[in-house]
Amino acid sequence: MRKNFIHDFLETFFRENNCHVDSMEGKLVVGLTEEMDKALMNRPFYWNYMETMNQKGKPMKLTFLTKNENRDEEGEWVTFGSPRLHQVAKHLKGQSQYTRLFQVMHTHEQTMLHPWLVLNYCVRYEGKQIKEKLFSIGLHLIKGTIVHDMMENLQQIELHEVISNHCYTISPIIKPSSGINRIEKYIDDFIENDDHTWAVKAHQRLQRELDLIQHFYEHTSDKQEKKREEIAAQKRFTPKITHEIISGGLFYLDTRFPFQ
Amino acid sequence: MHIIINKDKYFLNQLHTKLENNQQLSSWELFELHYRMETMLIHDDFDALLVPNYLPHVNFMEHQVKAAQTVIHDMDGRAILADEVGLGKTIEAGLILKEYMLRKLVKKVLILVPSSLVPQWVEELHEKFHIPAVAFRKGYEWEQYDVVIASIDTAKQNKHQSHILDIEYDMVIVDEAHKIKNHKTKNHAMIRAIQKKYCLLLTATPVQNKLRELFNLVTVLKPGFLGTYESFKRKYRTENEIQSDKHLQKLIQQVMVRNARKDTLLHDVKRQVETVWLTFNEEEQKVYDSLSNIFQDSHTFSKITYLKELCSSREACYLSLEASDSKKYKDILENIAVLPHHVKAKKLVEIIQSLNGKKVIVFTEYRATQFYLQWYLAQENISSVPFRGGMKANRKTWMMELFQNNKQVLIATEAGGEGVNLQFCSHIINYDLPWNPMRLEQRIGRIHRYGQENDVHIYHFAIQHTIEEQIMHLLYKKIHMFEQVVGKLDDILTALNIDLDKEFSSIMETSDSVEEMEIKVNHLTEVINQAGREA
Repeated sequence: MRKNFIHDFLETFFRENNCHVDSMEGKLVVGLTEEMDKALMNRPFYWNYMETMNQKGKPMKLTFLTKNENRDEEGEWVTFGSPRLHQVAKHLKGQSQYTRLFQVMHTHEQTMLHPWLVLNYCVRYEGKQIKEKLFSIGLHLIKGTIVHDMMENLQQIELHEVISNHCYTISPIIKPSSGINRIEKYIDDFIENDDHTWAVKAHQRLQRELDLIQHFYEHTSDKQEKKREEIAAQKRFTPKITHEIISGGLFYLDTRFPFQ
Repeated sequence: MHIIINKDKYFLNQLHTKLENNQQLSSWELFELHYRMETMLIHDDFDALLVPNYLPHVNFMEHQVKAAQTVIHDMDGRAILADEVGLGKTIEAGLILKEYMLRKLVKKVLILVPSSLVPQWVEELHEKFHIPAVAFRKGYEWEQYDVVIASIDTAKQNKHQSHILDIEYDMVIVDEAHKIKNHKTKNHAMIRAIQKKYCLLLTATPVQNKLRELFNLVTVLKPGFLGTYESFKRKYRTENEIQSDKHLQKLIQQVMVRNARKDTLLHDVKRQVETVWLTFNEEEQKVYDSLSNIFQDSHTFSKITYLKELCSSREACYLSLEASDSKKYKDILENIAVLPHHVKAKKLVEIIQSLNGKKVIVFTEYRATQFYLQWYLAQENISSVPFRGGMKANRKTWMMELFQNNKQVLIATEAGGEGVNLQFCSHIINYDLPWNPMRLEQRIGRIHRYGQENDVHIYHFAIQHTIEEQIMHLLYKKIHMFEQVVGKLDDILTALNIDLDKEFSSIMETSDSVEEMEIKVNHLTEVINQAGREA
């Protein structure tokens, strides 16, 4: 299942970036565009040279192997740990953090679209170890309704960067800057009700560590080393929660959304 | 209890700017693809190791994954990795590092290793772990790269050290950590002074039985874990108490992982050991006997040395006799010079030829023999490369590559130090036998290690009616060297606090005759055996 994911992922990514893609069983052949070549292939000298010589450069062609069984064939075997996959994911992240999209409406009548603020969060619990949770939250910027698993809901409809004919949008009543507070309140409520044994454990561990350090350096004069060790212990064990918004944007949707 | 919560205050402003300027706004397809990727990359479990899923191109061994798990979950990322040689401490360290990097707990990393191992660390981290590690070079800034590999000797130079101490490292790894076990050294002081969140100390030299060293290493990781040195010393006055104290052993298990070969799957790789008994031909034996007679009254140490050399090659013995510059050896030098090719060299060619091109490592104690064998094998159309301790690091690496890719035989005068991997080869010929059986173990450890897929074949050459036969009986047979599980001898010697190299040289220095030496060696092996039976 995971292997298919990588195949689909690369295929979609390159197609969306206007590359020529040949998709076969467990194998992708991608003819890069000049832009993609510059972004991924790390050969600035070549492109620089071609430009100075006033010539058209030739973007590379890549072959990706996406199935274990094919790994010995000619090409790059891509797995979840491959630097290539992470390079592509990083590039994608730069391309797709922000958006404004309109629901595609096939209509001949004047149709109103409502504004939504959509934010996708990664929340990290960090104690002795780390655990992450994704939240995809949509906030109706007129009614204040909150929808979770927003991305899944959005998958049911068609979206486009340009508004459909005969459609118009209305301005938000709730400003995005106060909208984000409502979304955060929603996440905070979730976190508050979550199990936090991890934090208690990390905290106890930190105390134990600090006690040891205290005891060890009691009779020495090396205050600097003591401080250093205390900081290291705090870094390792202080329980904390971090919010990162991985992507988000304004969505203008049919008034009937989320169709239940 | 208070939990710090850091919110993302940056995103909304960015979004606002992008919307206003109508720039960098994503299509739905890419927006959705990005989110889908995030759902795949998320770590929704505190405990399960992510690493194996990310690195399907490597077959990690069970004990390696388990070690990584233990260090991360039970030791919170500060540990001594003390597996026996050849079980893949580097792999374990790589697994731990990668796991922390995947979980975004580690970014800035300093790896300190002996300079000869720098290229190998770089390669392993790249190939096995996709970690973009960089070897430190002149002109680099320490800040410049996230994962830097350097030698301790470079790092401790004043101009570098001051930079290093300014950096907040997330992880520091020290390979061959026994180099920092002495608290009075600059090495030790520097490692203590580095700012580090996580820390791994790798060592194959068991330290768990030496009071001060153990204390020093643990203190680098967890100051106070064993108390202060004074209280520690008061509690465990002798090394014996360390051994027997269950409480202390338990404490140590909380900071140290030590896998023994016998407990790992590597144990399934079998060792085929064969002693190849040879006899000198008449001429050789005559020279050997006369050499033995000349030195009847002189110092045992020189006598044994010359005899051992003659058992290795004419060249080895000739050169060292010549260097001693004594006129009385003139006749014997002439006799040695006209000897035919060595009986061992002929046997060597025979064995190598019977292997049909399979790779072989030949170990000899003497450089003269090394030269001779390289020349002699070339006469027989067998390709070989030399390997010596004194070679520069990059030359060593090059020799290893030549051996792996182009040549059939590697002729080595030393085992090549910890971390040299030759597991693509499964045949070793011990052309002459070292006094110290541990050294033999190190040699075998180069190929009988993680990654070896075939049974390991080991040939010991020994010439009958010579000093070699004596060594064989005195030492190897007595200690049951060949049946011993690897590592057991290691453990026994540590428990006894014996350094075999030192013991042998002292025996030879202080013996007035070969007979006396034999008796002393006998005592020594008896002590070792006794300890072995009790263990």
